[in-house]
Amino acid sequence: MLKIRRAPSKGALLLRPILEGGAPHASGFAGRPGEMLEISPRERWIGAAGASSPHEWECVGAACIAAAGEAPRVALDARGLPVQFAVGLGLGAMLRAWRFERLKSRDAKPPRRIELLVDHPCHLAAPWARAEAALAGAAFARELVAEPGNHLTPREFAHRLRKLRAEGIEVTVLGRKALRRLGAGGLLAVGQGSTHPPRMVILRWKGCFQAPPIAFIGKGICFDTGGISIKGAAGMEAMRADMAGAAAGAGAMLALARRRSPCPAVAVLAIAENATSAQAYRPGDVLRMMNGMSVEVVDTDAEGRLVLADALHLAGRRFRPQALIDLATLTGSVVTALGHHRAGIFGNDAALGAAVTAAGEVVGEKLWPLPIGERHREDLKSDIADIKQCVPAGRGPQPDASHAAAFLREFAGGLPWAHLDIAGVETAETSEGLAAKDTPTGFGVRLLDALVERHFEDPHRL
Amino acid sequence: MLDIAFAKPALPKAGALVLPLAEGAALTGLAATLDAAMEGGLTRALEAAAFKGKKGQSATFWAPHGGITKLVVIGLGETPDAEKTGGSMIPMISGEAAAMVATDGLSAEQAASLAMGAALRSYRFDRYRTKEKAEDKPKLAKLTIATVDASAAKTAYTPMKAVVEGVFLTRDLVSEPANILTPVEFAERLKGLEKLGLGVEVLGPKEMKKLGFGALLGVAQGSINEPRMVVMKWNGSGKKKMDKPLCFIGKGVTFDTGGISIKPAGGMEDMKWDMAGAGTVAGLMAALAGRKAQADVIGIVGLVENMPGHNAQRPGDVVTSASGQTIEVINTDAEGRLVLADVIHYAIEKFDPKFMVDLATLTGAIIVALGHEHAGLFANDEELAARITAAGNSVGEAAWRMPLGEAYDKQIKSDIADMKNVGGGRAGGSITAACFIQRFVQGRPWAHLDIAGTAWATKDSPTIPKGASAYGVRMLDRLVADHYEG
Repeated sequence: MLKIRRAPSKGALLLRPILEGGAPHASGFAGRPGEMLEISPRERWIGAAGASSPHEWECVGAACIAAAGEAPRVALDARGLPVQFAVGLGLGAMLRAWRFERLKSRDAKPPRRIELLVDHPCHLAAPWARAEAALAGAAFARELVAEPGNHLTPREFAHRLRKLRAEGIEVTVLGRKALRRLGAGGLLAVGQGSTHPPRMVILRWKGCFQAPPIAFIGKGICFDTGGISIKGAAGMEAMRADMAGAAAGAGAMLALARRRSPCPAVAVLAIAENATSAQAYRPGDVLRMMNGMSVEVVDTDAEGRLVLADALHLAGRRFRPQALIDLATLTGSVVTALGHHRAGIFGNDAALGAAVTAAGEVVGEKLWPLPIGERHREDLKSDIADIKQCVPAGRGPQPDASHAAAFLREFAGGLPWAHLDIAGVETAETSEGLAAKDTPTGFGVRLLDALVERHFEDPHRL
Repeated sequence: MLDIAFAKPALPKAGALVLPLAEGAALTGLAATLDAAMEGGLTRALEAAAFKGKKGQSATFWAPHGGITKLVVIGLGETPDAEKTGGSMIPMISGEAAAMVATDGLSAEQAASLAMGAALRSYRFDRYRTKEKAEDKPKLAKLTIATVDASAAKTAYTPMKAVVEGVFLTRDLVSEPANILTPVEFAERLKGLEKLGLGVEVLGPKEMKKLGFGALLGVAQGSINEPRMVVMKWNGSGKKKMDKPLCFIGKGVTFDTGGISIKPAGGMEDMKWDMAGAGTVAGLMAALAGRKAQADVIGIVGLVENMPGHNAQRPGDVVTSASGQTIEVINTDAEGRLVLADVIHYAIEKFDPKFMVDLATLTGAIIVALGHEHAGLFANDEELAARITAAGNSVGEAAWRMPLGEAYDKQIKSDIADMKNVGGGRAGGSITAACFIQRFVQGRPWAHLDIAGTAWATKDSPTIPKGASAYGVRMLDRLVADHYEG
């Protein structure tokens, strides 16, 4: 929790962002980003030179927390700052201070107590409440991502999503039977190797506009062993985060509900565990998808596109949304392409793509457009089915991220669609961002929230 | 090279005849003449073959009339692409010694484009096939483009022919095996471009050592084949004191074993074309000189062989580049950027260029990122990037913009030197490579094309037979033509 106060409480460590050094301090501290000066045991200065946007102030807030060591109670000095920067400072601090201690039976650290010092707390009340909505969404997503695979099974994931009913969100959970009735061959095949059956969860926020909703589609693979095309052991533990796309969709819905967005929104989350077993689906299998297309499975570890395909089709057909935006930790290829600093964005609608990318810039969740070329689609031609799921291994390096996007496009039903491949950004690789190193970032939640606010809440647009 | 002539339309006495036909249109020109001569036989034949003129559709008829041995009809669709049509007809007539193609409905400029497409597709690298039977070789030697305005078409084709010759030079260089095309031999062949009016200067290891080329020489030291740097000058403005030149720089690793960080055996033979960047620059310079481009242009290629010889550089070595910046060599297989670093520095110091564009088969990561349809384009200059992209789109050589940035640049920080030559495993591998090169451009306008995925075609396309594509020659020729001449 963050408290907005005029002065620090007793015992709090004062963290003071310094905009410019003026005359450099005797220590050499000049206020540059990344610099920290311990001015006394009770006060630290943090470099903030050049911070001139709310997001840059979020980064300063995060740097403050990183500089605070283990201090249980800290006060961030935002006195004299414009309201939006003060909010950014607090938001960045809260995001960076987030931690997941639930599973530690010893030495679990209590949440940090953070105070935000401002001249007029009353000026901050409304904008801070707005920021708290996004914060709640991000924290919800991060928690889901942090949960290990044995805790967050598909059933448990659905159970946690049901709790969003208390926020005014309508929640529908489709189990195996309903999925069979709908013909969700992709999701069912991926989920069939696990003792924990798959789920499709639909979240609806009605808003107040009489308009088609915006739809978020999320990949929710609670754990991804790779299936029969099993992954190497090294690093496999990170596959508990293979549901980060679904978590981001759910987090964004919570953010919209918390701030009572007027925009109707729906999230369709495809949740399954990709396990190895006697019943698991195999390479070579041909699946019948919900939209009627047949798909030749080549690699059971390219399961994300199969579950998303059904979710995209369901969202498009049932809700006829203004836009479909899917998020998925989909490919290693996108990590090779863009590393850990940007996620890849693909789509069929330039305007939507530009709006999504711009929203990402505002909140510091950066995207970069990647192509779906003719050749990418051609590569997926199958001898036995309508389409191949991916290109077989052993044919040299492949642009798998683009192949996956070309595959998904077939299921978007011609609606405006954007696909965010967030593999590589769902977990913090460095200690320089808004999440501590190796913890979930909640990537996508704030981006979607900002997108809705900037592009889908203008009543005149309809 | 295929002999191409332009002539007024008249039914040929012998050889093949190609009729490109628009979708749903009545027969005109040569097609109508032939139909009349056959007393409606062509119309009946097209109907029998269910030929509608759709793009990509084609049909063949043998000995249709007079001395014509073979008639090929090709669909143009609704919006004809003359160049692609010219290219895709070639395999259908390659068994004939001579052929004529009609261009009714096409402008003189389009007729020239059709000729260019045909020429581009007719390329074949068969120098090392000593036992090929005559009947297996393509016979097509002469192609006549029938057009009402033959002289205008011929005029339009003249500069295009120079570009085709540039493309062929590139394809030859890229196709040559590495035991033939050593750095010394490569430089020797470029010396031959002097006959086109290019100034060609060759620098050897001694001169490069004097210039402080520690990075390039570090790569070269594992091979018995000496490195070369070749500077090609085209003084198209004709001015004694050249304008600030446009500068094109190519990576020319004539064979890349990976060095001590040796590559696995599977597919290593492809590494003979790790000099495609240099090959492209050579072809581009030949094209510009061949068509007498009105611009001052410098092409520089760094030619080395990356071998694991007993004197090869090692992972962990620190080398000092010509710019004075030190580089920790983490992986000897990330050698292209080391070569480019010194060449780019030289280009800036010596020529003060208006801009620099480098081409390199630099990273496998760009194939994972984009595949084989687009090259990766990195740039610190928006205008230059936009112009390159547009030029590429207009000639069918697509480039896709990729990001640079501080966050990526940080990944190549070294503990012991100014930078290391790889950063952070495979993640963002093409971007960190570009960031590395960016450290040597001194903030000058610069673009980098990572052509590892586009330099070699694994299957035929209308204007590019399987093999060396010469990707970049036409794009950059167009870039110069559209923005920097006159």
